Amino acid sequence: MPPVAQEGNCLIYRGSNFLKQRLVLSCLSGKPVKITQIRAEDEGAPGLREYEISLIRLLDKLTNGTKIELNPAGTSVMFSPGLLHGGHLEHDCCVQRGIGYYLDALIALGPFCKMPLKCQLRGVTNSNDSPSVDHVKGAALSLLKRYLLVDEGLELRVVRRGVAPLGGGEVLFTCPVRKSLRAIQLQEPGMVKRIRGTVYACKVSPAMANRTVESAKGCMLKFLPDVYIYTDQNRGKMSGNSPGFGICLLAETTDGVCFAADCISNTREESDTPSIPEDLGREAAMRLLDEIYRGGCCDSAYQWLAALFMALGQKHVSKFLTGALSTYTVHFLQHLRDFFSVTFKLENPEIDEDDEDDVRGAQKVLMTCVGIGYTNVSKRVL
Amino acid sequence: MADDAAGQDKRKQHRARQSGVKADKKKVKAKKESNQKEPELTARQRNPKAFAINSAQRAERNFRRKEDLTAKKQHIPVVDQTPDEPPPVLIAVVGPPKVGKTTLIKDLIKTFTRTNVSEIKGPITIVTSKKRRITLLECNNDINSMIDVAKCADLVLLLCDASYGFEMEIFEFLNICQVHGMPKIMGVLTHLDMIKNTKQLRKRKKELKHRFWTEVYDGAKLFYLSGLLHGEYLRNEIKNLGRFISVMKFRPLQWRGAHSYLLVDRVEDVTNTDTVRRNPKCDREVVLYGYVRGVPLKQEHMVHIAGLGDARIDELSVIPDPCPLPGTEKKRSLLEKERLLYAPMSGVGGIVYDKDAVYIELQGSHSHKEQTAEATEQAALVSKLIEKKATMDEQMEEQQFRLFSDAAPIKSKDFKSDVEDEEDEEAADDSGLDAASSDDEDDNEFAANDWRGENSDEDEDQQQSEQSDASSGDEEYQQLGTAGSDEEDEDDEQSRLLANNMNWKSNLAQKARDAFLQRHSESRNLMRLVYGVYNQSERNKQEQLEKEQDDESDEELGGLFRVAAKQQTELQKDKDIRDKEERCFFEYQGGVTRDWLSEDNKQLIKNCFVTGKWKASEDAENLLKLDDMSDADSEVYGDFEDLETGEQHSGKPKDEAAASEDADDAPTAGEKRKMTRVEEENLTKKELMAKKLKLKAKFDAEYDNHGEKGDEDGGRITGDHSFYEDLKAEAQKQSELNKSEFAQLDNELRIQIEGYRAGLYVRLGFKTMPAEFVENFDASYPVLVGALNMTEENVGYVNCKVKKHRWYKKILKTGDPLIVSMGWRRFQTVAIYAKVEDNFRQRYLKYTPNHVTCSMTFWGPITPQNTGFLALQTVRHDQEEMKRLGFRIAATGCVSELDKSSQIMKKLKLVGHPFKIYKNTAYVKDMFHSSLEVAKFEGAKIKTVSGIRGQIKKAHHTPEGSYRATFEDKIVLSDIVFCRTWFRVEVPRFYAPITTLLLPADQKSQWQGMKTLGQLKRERALQNEAQPDSMYTEIVRKPKIFRPLVIPKALQRALPYKDKPKLGPENPREALERVAVVESPYEQKVAKMMKMIETNYKDKRNRDRKETQQRMKKFRAQKRADEASKQQHQKQLRKKVSRAISKMRGKNDK
Repeated sequence: MPPVAQEGNCLIYRGSNFLKQRLVLSCLSGKPVKITQIRAEDEGAPGLREYEISLIRLLDKLTNGTKIELNPAGTSVMFSPGLLHGGHLEHDCCVQRGIGYYLDALIALGPFCKMPLKCQLRGVTNSNDSPSVDHVKGAALSLLKRYLLVDEGLELRVVRRGVAPLGGGEVLFTCPVRKSLRAIQLQEPGMVKRIRGTVYACKVSPAMANRTVESAKGCMLKFLPDVYIYTDQNRGKMSGNSPGFGICLLAETTDGVCFAADCISNTREESDTPSIPEDLGREAAMRLLDEIYRGGCCDSAYQWLAALFMALGQKHVSKFLTGALSTYTVHFLQHLRDFFSVTFKLENPEIDEDDEDDVRGAQKVLMTCVGIGYTNVSKRVL
Repeated sequence: MADDAAGQDKRKQHRARQSGVKADKKKVKAKKESNQKEPELTARQRNPKAFAINSAQRAERNFRRKEDLTAKKQHIPVVDQTPDEPPPVLIAVVGPPKVGKTTLIKDLIKTFTRTNVSEIKGPITIVTSKKRRITLLECNNDINSMIDVAKCADLVLLLCDASYGFEMEIFEFLNICQVHGMPKIMGVLTHLDMIKNTKQLRKRKKELKHRFWTEVYDGAKLFYLSGLLHGEYLRNEIKNLGRFISVMKFRPLQWRGAHSYLLVDRVEDVTNTDTVRRNPKCDREVVLYGYVRGVPLKQEHMVHIAGLGDARIDELSVIPDPCPLPGTEKKRSLLEKERLLYAPMSGVGGIVYDKDAVYIELQGSHSHKEQTAEATEQAALVSKLIEKKATMDEQMEEQQFRLFSDAAPIKSKDFKSDVEDEEDEEAADDSGLDAASSDDEDDNEFAANDWRGENSDEDEDQQQSEQSDASSGDEEYQQLGTAGSDEEDEDDEQSRLLANNMNWKSNLAQKARDAFLQRHSESRNLMRLVYGVYNQSERNKQEQLEKEQDDESDEELGGLFRVAAKQQTELQKDKDIRDKEERCFFEYQGGVTRDWLSEDNKQLIKNCFVTGKWKASEDAENLLKLDDMSDADSEVYGDFEDLETGEQHSGKPKDEAAASEDADDAPTAGEKRKMTRVEEENLTKKELMAKKLKLKAKFDAEYDNHGEKGDEDGGRITGDHSFYEDLKAEAQKQSELNKSEFAQLDNELRIQIEGYRAGLYVRLGFKTMPAEFVENFDASYPVLVGALNMTEENVGYVNCKVKKHRWYKKILKTGDPLIVSMGWRRFQTVAIYAKVEDNFRQRYLKYTPNHVTCSMTFWGPITPQNTGFLALQTVRHDQEEMKRLGFRIAATGCVSELDKSSQIMKKLKLVGHPFKIYKNTAYVKDMFHSSLEVAKFEGAKIKTVSGIRGQIKKAHHTPEGSYRATFEDKIVLSDIVFCRTWFRVEVPRFYAPITTLLLPADQKSQWQGMKTLGQLKRERALQNEAQPDSMYTEIVRKPKIFRPLVIPKALQRALPYKDKPKLGPENPREALERVAVVESPYEQKVAKMMKMIETNYKDKRNRDRKETQQRMKKFRAQKRADEASKQQHQKQLRKKVSRAISKMRGKNDK
């Protein structure tokens, strides 16, 4: 949805939806953003949630000269961004959302900081509502690598796992800085050549992990022989604060594109019945196959990242083939237009008539745009 | 320029020389060529031995040298961004006054277009050749104009009066150019006829040329205009200059390669005349016109109007080019009517746009004819404008009227009409289908049914999750938004399906066209789903519509119910997604994934894996086969048949398998088989294509790199430059992609995606411009509109490297206001200088150092790093000031860092005095004011003047601000204690854009910003009261009285005797008192005895001494005698021997 109004440079939005997108884009574009009526109709808990405030805090730490104004009820926030600073950060993420929620913002902002980012995040590493750290590591970092060209200094290390609801996990994210991003053309997703995965179990029986592996592998072996799933059994201090287990599957194609799918066990609050490992494994496999069916040159959860880097690239044409656009991406594209006035050309690529019988998954979307020539203004040159 | 000659007399044919050196040479050459048909051998080929490698070391050195030279030549490849139809080349004519700028421009215009221009005002655009237009711009003598011109000119004609020599303005301009990205510079010497003496003239030319070369580069072109004839330069010389201009190539500049800009060539004030009448100083609505240059321009970006400030574009639109390039007919020269001239600010081009009137000038019949096309067009524009100037009420009425009478266009805009549109489209598709396939309709319908059946099957399959194509992925998004839109989406879907059907069965040409159209509409649909109404014009219309609705009371109107409904749905949509949880996952509907293990689903993704079927172009088996083929065969088509049959064999069983799987659906299977047959044909075609490509690649590999290989064979070793070559190729590829990607799109969509690309003539509307801009508009000052990229509209601390210009006479003082030209902007700011120390600390400097770069920080607009800038202390054009300064550019440099806080530090020494000293502990006062301050400094290092180091420990209660400190040794009360700290210097937040365009004509060159303290004091004749501390007074020193040295007793005791303080006589000068000694008889006896013994002893000793002396004398005499006799004896012996020897010799001689 478009901004309600624009006051000079400042964009005004209504509602808490896509808060992260807006804040991240605001940081990048330098345009202040004002968000009003945040959960104003929610009588019980109006205003910003704790995790959103935590995100704002993280952005504040990451930048220099940011001004944030919250009204007393927390239903309105004025965010005027400073310059991205980076450096060594530590942040205790709110356990209401997974670390993936915060990591997304860091991945988008990391390459444009003044100093290489080295961020220690503590909280829930694996949760249902945001991509797990394995997912981020597999899908987002491989995408980021394409734009950074050299992956020296790009790392996401899972120091400790901690599942919802209490978390207790820790990750270390390092990201190098770049002066500008290149315009790239990615149109060949390639074919899936190998499937890897991680099954983790924290404070539960190791058998759970093994059972999950078995069922997931069973599904995947019907398509491809090269399947290997690691198990990550954690105990004691390394296993965070609450019990749980889950699986993250990763499919890699011949052209280096990574697809990922997550599945995690129910927490006690979510349902009474505990999750069955076999179901979990199968579900993850189905989700991965869904992802493969959708195809494209990036994971569907990170279409927005590809779009962002395309828009921020040099003033040249860049092209990117994705699967069907997700709602999130659609909104992100709208926001990109608001903040950077970049309009993407979206089209369904022509299918070669010859290849009609060997369709590779779903209809794809070809995104084309001209970058805005974004340069990292914070970095120091000598 | 061939056409220029056409006007003159008939050309003489070229006659080749029949005799002379050249002819002889040619004859010899021709003979040689006829003799030897083979290409001439190089020395290396003729005599390879001479080039053999003798020393590996030397070869290595040679190789390295060659590589060094090539590497030096290489530059990072830049993607070429010039569009297909570039904007006119901007040529600025710069020079001091009275040097002949206007004459030159007039002459150039005259040579190119045969028009006399009476008055040069503002930029003048002319068409010079089939592919090139130029804009001529005269730069006046104001430094503000010079800066703006240097920022936008592609080519600078730098005029210089040869009789006078280079003036300071020229050097200033060259320095400005260097800072803002060097445009091409061509020097032009005029007034050469003033120097009568030829020898002197030649000398002068040489002198000036060399001076020019040192400033620009060695070999820079300097053009000579030898004199005036009837008030014009010589025609031949101008023609030559024109030729130089029209073949000139330009290299891309960094700043302009990242920013779009335009030089305004027409200004219009479109404010309501009534408002202006009521309040002459009201903000104006201004429209600026110009060619977009640099990179594409976007409406949403802020722009900076140099000399005015930042502004937001209110309205941006393309208007037809007033000075278009001629069509692409194959003619060598321009037609007379194609030699267009566009100069809206000068008195040519037929129309002069004034503030509130349009004057049409009619010259000769010739010029009138020339302008007809554009004049009518412009007249139309003007009339439109006049129409627009109607009062607000009238406009409103008109709009209302339109709304009622013309319901259709309004309908088409609002929400529901989308459905109608699509239905229309559908209908159109249907009709298209009918028309296209009237010959075999039955078949078609059958096929369509089947096709649809299959599709609907699939639809059913997927109804739980997202559908097969992207738009259905969006469907899910739509469903989130509004339930109402679902239907419409389905309609859309169906229409597309239908379109699909049609495409499949019509003949090929039709098919291709339709496929294109359909794809186009599809992608448009996709874009519509994402962006809503994305078209600029549509959006504008909609906005207008909305405005109207706001104006009216919508309840009264029946026709507006729909609008209300639309608003309602939008509100609903808004509400639905408001406060939605933010998740980046693809959303599954109902949270269920498809069961991929079922056989039909499996088929869908089977080919996504490496185990599935590969594309013909990448399948290893296929490639191998092709390889074999290309190796073995000579005839392509023979094998082609073979291949096809082979393919069919492999194809059939698969089909059968498919048929067995779908046994229930026999007709479908049959259809499918038929289809695959068709596809196989295509496939083989494709394979053929792939094969051809492969062959071509092979050929290329063999023959394109042949030269290199040959060289290698010849023994020359070439380096590997593939990395550079790859980079270059990549840049080339990107450039081609940039050009071709959107070339097929319609202009509106293209502008939407790409922005207003360079070369378009645009109209920029600004809403709130100061009235002074219009009132004081002067065409001789260029109006440069530069677009700002992301974040460049913000301000922050800008840290730069800066060096005082070596020709500037003064040094610059920290805290003095400084005028900076950076990026598009000119502004005044207050700069703080600093020195970057080894640990990256920025240490405050009071003045800029001489001949060394230093760091400078100021509060100003955020500009990308490495952008060059120059600093001036004043931009006033004041003869006296000029004389005093000589050279106005105070400093140059480039941006190095941007931040929201500054880190400039100043050293601060805190001084305190001890007031109580214990062993190594001391209490120090006077350093701080309160114990709170002390608390902040706990643990800080301190030091006494004598060099004893220590540390602040803790605050002490009395006196306030004193503290306890420990030292490495005991200090004394007279010691002074220092604490060395760093104090951050605040950079003043002062940033004032220069607004020269707003000043009245006579004050344009007199802009005065903030003054320096010195200036103010001088003006007001103020003098600083000298500080009493700084006064020179006579130094009166009290003689220092030292306390006597006291050595502790214990120490005294321990000292060696010679260092011990001696306890001498109390008064050494007084003679000692003799004391009478009375001896006892015994003592007398002893004394007598002792005396006797002593005397005895003395006597004996004397005697002994004498005896010894005599004995020694005797001994020496004896010894001397012995020696003498010995000598005597030896002498005789030698005599004897000598005699014997001489005798023997005598015998021998005999």
